[in-house]
Amino acid sequence: MNEESNNSSASSSGDSNPCPICLGPIVQDSYLDKCFHKFCYSCIVQWTKVVAGRHSHPPSSVKCPLCKTENLTIIHGYDGSSFQQHHINQDFGYSFILTRAHKYRLQCYYTEPGIINDIFNASRFWKSHKYLQPNRWLQSWLRREIQALLQEEDVDIIVHHILGVIDSSLTRNEQKYHQKVPETKQEDVKALVSNAANPFLGARTDRFVKELELFLASGLNIEAYDAAYMQRLGWISPGVSSEASKEALNERTTVIPYLYIFDDDSDGPD
Amino acid sequence: MQASRARLFKEYKEVQREKVADPDIQLVCDDSNIFKWTALIKGPSETPYEGGIFQLAFAVPEQYPLQPPQVRFLTKIFHPNVHFKTGEICLDILKNAWSPAWTLQSVCRAIIALMAHPEPDSPLNCDSGNLLRSGDIRGYQSMARMYARLAAMPKKG
Repeated sequence: MNEESNNSSASSSGDSNPCPICLGPIVQDSYLDKCFHKFCYSCIVQWTKVVAGRHSHPPSSVKCPLCKTENLTIIHGYDGSSFQQHHINQDFGYSFILTRAHKYRLQCYYTEPGIINDIFNASRFWKSHKYLQPNRWLQSWLRREIQALLQEEDVDIIVHHILGVIDSSLTRNEQKYHQKVPETKQEDVKALVSNAANPFLGARTDRFVKELELFLASGLNIEAYDAAYMQRLGWISPGVSSEASKEALNERTTVIPYLYIFDDDSDGPD
Repeated sequence: MQASRARLFKEYKEVQREKVADPDIQLVCDDSNIFKWTALIKGPSETPYEGGIFQLAFAVPEQYPLQPPQVRFLTKIFHPNVHFKTGEICLDILKNAWSPAWTLQSVCRAIIALMAHPEPDSPLNCDSGNLLRSGDIRGYQSMARMYARLAAMPKKG
C-alpha cells in the first residue's frame, strides 16, 4: 500500500546520495534516531540482525555504520506528519506483535483523512447530543487504537487516562453547552482530548482525535465499525462478510432516532 | 547473494570513475569472478615501506557487505600486524569493527594507514612486534625496509 511513497522516495534520493549499505538509491527512507544517518529500511534492519546474531543477548541498540553512534530505534515511514519506529531487537523476543486488526488500524492513519466522514456523521453526533449516551465499546476501541499507534501491548494507563478525559469532557458543563452551538462543545472536547493524548501520540494526535470522533459518531460496535470502515477503503475485512457490514449500517440508522428521543432526559450527571 | 553482486558492481563502477582520484590504490576485479579482487597499494611515505608496491588479495563473501571481505597480503611484508607467511592481516575493521559502510576502496585506505601506524600490542608477526615493543624502532625499520626492497620493489639491474 506504500508503493507510491516508496517510488517517490527512491527517485528523489537518486544516485548522488546512495544508501551506505547497498550503495543504491535509498528505498523506504529510514533514519537512525540519534545520528539521523539515512539508509534503506531493509538494509539497516538486516544489518541490526547481523549485529544481533553475534551476541547471545542481542543489545537493544545498534552502532551507526557510518559514525558509530549508538541508536535505539530506526525511524521509517515518515509521511510528512507521522512516522513509525522500529525498536532495535525488540521484535525478536517477547515483545508485542501487532494483530491484523492493529495493522489495519495503523494503515488507516496512512489514508487521506476524511475518507470515511460521510458514513459516520460527526456533526449529527454533536447536534443531537448523542455523546451523552455512554459508549460501551469505547474502552476496547481505545486500547486497540493506542496499542496499534504505540506498537506496545501494555497501554492500560494511557487508555485509562484518555478515557477519563473523554468521559469527563463529554458530560461536564452540559447545561452551559445546551444553549451554545454544538460546534463549541465539539471544539472544546477535541482540544481537551488532544491535550491528553499528545504526550503519548505526538504527531499522530490530531488524526487520532479525528478517528476517535468518527468512532463515537458511528455509534457502532467495533466489528461493525471495522466492516464499514474497510468496506469504504476497499480493503478486505478479516472475517467479516459484506452482509455483516450492511447489517451494521442498518443498525446505525435505527440507533439514531432512539438516542434523539432520549436526548432531553439525559441532562448528564451534574 | 544478489545484493552482494549489485553492491560489488556499484563499487566496480565507482572504482573505474575514481581511478585517477587515489593514485595510491589500484583496485582490480578478477575477470571472471566479481567476488575476487586484487589491489596494488603504494607503501606510505616516511615509512619503511615507502617506494614499495604491495599486492592484496580480496575474497568477498556472499553476505557482503554484511560480512567483511577477507584480505591478505600477497607481497611479503614485515609488519607486526601481518602474518609473515600467510599475509593475513590483523585489523579490527576486518573483524568485529566491520561496518557495511566500508568499501573495498576504503579497506585499502585502512590497510595503508595500518602500514604507517603498526599496532605492536596485537601482533601476528611476533618478531616485528617485539622489536617495536622493546623500543628498537631502528631494528624494526631496517627489517621492514629490507623486506620491502626484496619483495615490493623492482629488482635493480
